[in-house]
Amino acid sequence: MTRINRANAAVAMGCLALLCLAGPAPVAAQDKQRPAEVDRGAVIAAQGAAGVPACAQCHAFSGGSDGSGAFPRIAGQSAYYLEKQMRDFASSVRANAIMTPIAKALPPNDTTDVAAFYAGNSGQFLPLAAADAALVEKGRQLARVGDAAKNIQACNNCHGPDGAGIPPAIPYLAGQYAQYIAFELQMWKRGHRKSSPDSMALVAKQLDDQQIAAVAAYYQQVRGAASAAASTR
Amino acid sequence: MAERLKPVDVVTVGVGMTGAIMGKELAAAGLKVVGIERGPMRDTVPDFQSPTIHDELRFAIRKALMQDNVKEAVTCRNSADQTALPMRRWAGYLPGTGLGGSLVHWNGQTYRFQPADFIYRTHLEQRYGKSFVDPELTIQDWGVTYDELETHYDRFEYLCGTSGKAGNIKGKIQPGGNPLEGFRSRDYPTQPMKEPYYGALFRKGAQSLGYHPFPQPASTLSQPYTNPEGLKLQQCVFCGYCERFACEHYAKASPQTIVLPVALKNPNYELRTNCQVLRVNLDSTGKKATGITYADAAGREYEQPAEMVLITAYALNNVRLLLNSGIGRTYDPRTGEGVVGRNYAYQTVSSVTVFYDEDVNINPFMASGASGTVIDDFSVDNFDHGPHKFIGGAYIGAIMTNGRPIEFHPTPPGTPAWGLGWKQAVARHYNHTVALTVHGSSHPARGNHLDLDPTYKDAWGLPLLRVTFEFPDNDIRMSSYVTDKAAEIGRAMGGKTVAAAPRKRPYTTTVYQTTHNTGGAIMGGDPKTSVVNRYLQCWDVPNVFVVGASAYPHNSSYNPTNTLGALTYWALDAIKNRYLKSPGPLVQA
Repeated sequence: MTRINRANAAVAMGCLALLCLAGPAPVAAQDKQRPAEVDRGAVIAAQGAAGVPACAQCHAFSGGSDGSGAFPRIAGQSAYYLEKQMRDFASSVRANAIMTPIAKALPPNDTTDVAAFYAGNSGQFLPLAAADAALVEKGRQLARVGDAAKNIQACNNCHGPDGAGIPPAIPYLAGQYAQYIAFELQMWKRGHRKSSPDSMALVAKQLDDQQIAAVAAYYQQVRGAASAAASTR
Repeated sequence: MAERLKPVDVVTVGVGMTGAIMGKELAAAGLKVVGIERGPMRDTVPDFQSPTIHDELRFAIRKALMQDNVKEAVTCRNSADQTALPMRRWAGYLPGTGLGGSLVHWNGQTYRFQPADFIYRTHLEQRYGKSFVDPELTIQDWGVTYDELETHYDRFEYLCGTSGKAGNIKGKIQPGGNPLEGFRSRDYPTQPMKEPYYGALFRKGAQSLGYHPFPQPASTLSQPYTNPEGLKLQQCVFCGYCERFACEHYAKASPQTIVLPVALKNPNYELRTNCQVLRVNLDSTGKKATGITYADAAGREYEQPAEMVLITAYALNNVRLLLNSGIGRTYDPRTGEGVVGRNYAYQTVSSVTVFYDEDVNINPFMASGASGTVIDDFSVDNFDHGPHKFIGGAYIGAIMTNGRPIEFHPTPPGTPAWGLGWKQAVARHYNHTVALTVHGSSHPARGNHLDLDPTYKDAWGLPLLRVTFEFPDNDIRMSSYVTDKAAEIGRAMGGKTVAAAPRKRPYTTTVYQTTHNTGGAIMGGDPKTSVVNRYLQCWDVPNVFVVGASAYPHNSSYNPTNTLGALTYWALDAIKNRYLKSPGPLVQA
């Protein structure tokens, strides 16, 4: 059963409602060892492991990271997705001076545990400065409708309504730091990030710098302290 | 009074797949082309984007992309002694409307017909003798051969970026492909789609019985692809929303993704949407078309003069336009004389449902319209029909296109049709069921035909098309035989319960079967038994070409789109290389 789910998980990015019927797809990546131990994951996040610094140093214990945007928000991303990123860092499909050595040093069981910990963490949203309204609007257009002139489809087709994510395979973008989204799109565009070559790399190469800034600014403000404050007003 | 517009070289009636290809190519050849489309303008961005496009109620149940049958329906009956009634809601089949036509909402299944199909009567009489074919069936040769069409099939598949594995390249059998197919000059442009679990189960079951499974050829692409027009397609994500929906991912071959953007950039090409063509106008001799008359969205009528008229609408609508324009003699089933409306055929589809234990998880929602695995061992004439009293056959495949919540409710025989028992059965079987498709040929019979309805009219006051159809005995026998074979495969796949549903009479339009309507304006070598010649040119009016599945003298075991693409390029070559140099009949009657 798990074998089937896993084989399909790599392929499928179906509709959110349907995935709910799929049963335990999010734990599919764990069949190789043992079930995740969330409490162990919390300890690793807080204290690190042998030769590995505490995740919380950059990503915060909440998974909300700091407001600089240099480190992505990871709270609530699927465990499957987080583990896959760690494997990609370890294999240098995603080469990163900080994360690659950490991913290589962290044993698979520890990675599983810490991924499960952050996946189950709702995190907190920090108050961030509002971006230029025109830029956000341009980003909203790309996210929801796409760009007909460049044959770019709406980001939300895969990333879910307003970037809510379609777990386990597709990460959320809603509330992600603009700085991080823009940086990763540039990494794809310039060929440094080699994951998802048939989807994200092609999209990123089509986007110009202003579009990247716009879509990043849009997703940052979809969810978080600023938008929560705005909605209560 | 219709306003007369400035004359152009070419007008296409309909801008779906055939209209878009013809329009693009002839505009590139320097002709002034106008494409008239009855439905709206629409494109991947912004019209087909998520989440709107995944609205199953709107698109799959209420059929938002289909011909508006409040304005324009089809009437149906099973035999000449019945009174036909209009289909008020589409159910049995789904003709598309709007820019891109039915190729916007198709599944992307991209099969070639077999060499034997094009010389069908000759082939069957040679193999089984002159008296083998039921005299009720009006099958005939097509007037074109597979060898002539091969390069055009190839061109269309490369336009679409079709994903598959060749089984026969220039006569050399290729492992992994379909060893029973006609030759290909080269492999598919893109690798086969990933095999879903239901396809893998089918592959094992079929192999254990000695059959030859292969990946279904798919124009929902396995990888990013740039086609010869320079247009980029993307990789399919198996979202399960192909048929009845438009693709938001640029992953399905549709006119919008494979050819239209090139046409629309050419100043020689002009697109007019929301314009309903009412008739083809003929001069006083009746042997030359002078153009067409259409009504725009406000009901204003226009006459568009043109040197050439290409009728490129849906198969049924092609025939209706000929009838409403008085082109060709209407077929009379009592005498067998006349040609327009003759050799209407459909598709003889049946199914086998394989129910598994709960430890087998199918995840049917992870699908594309054309993913899955099939066998060709019982298609067309791939097996000896000598011991059987029928011709034709079917491909069998595990080609589930979706697991959408409103439509996909597999329940084994004996389940209550509603209530708690039904709900429990759906919950139990939803994720543990594989549906096998038996996709069978359909043969024209003397009594099956198309003509104008004597009673019902469309929103513009023109008679509706009337379809008279019942499955011929031959096709019922074929369905019974091949569906049994599919059930054997179902058992070999390890199904706990295997439920076979061979096609039965009477034909009903209230249950979806397929949109593969063919014939009515068929091609051939003799004007007494065909409407168009081998180049899809009207025998009676040589500056009219009828490009559609309406040209098929019979419908084969396969989905018709790829053959239509091949015929479109075949006719296009004749128009560009011969007709334009010397307008007139390309074949002397």
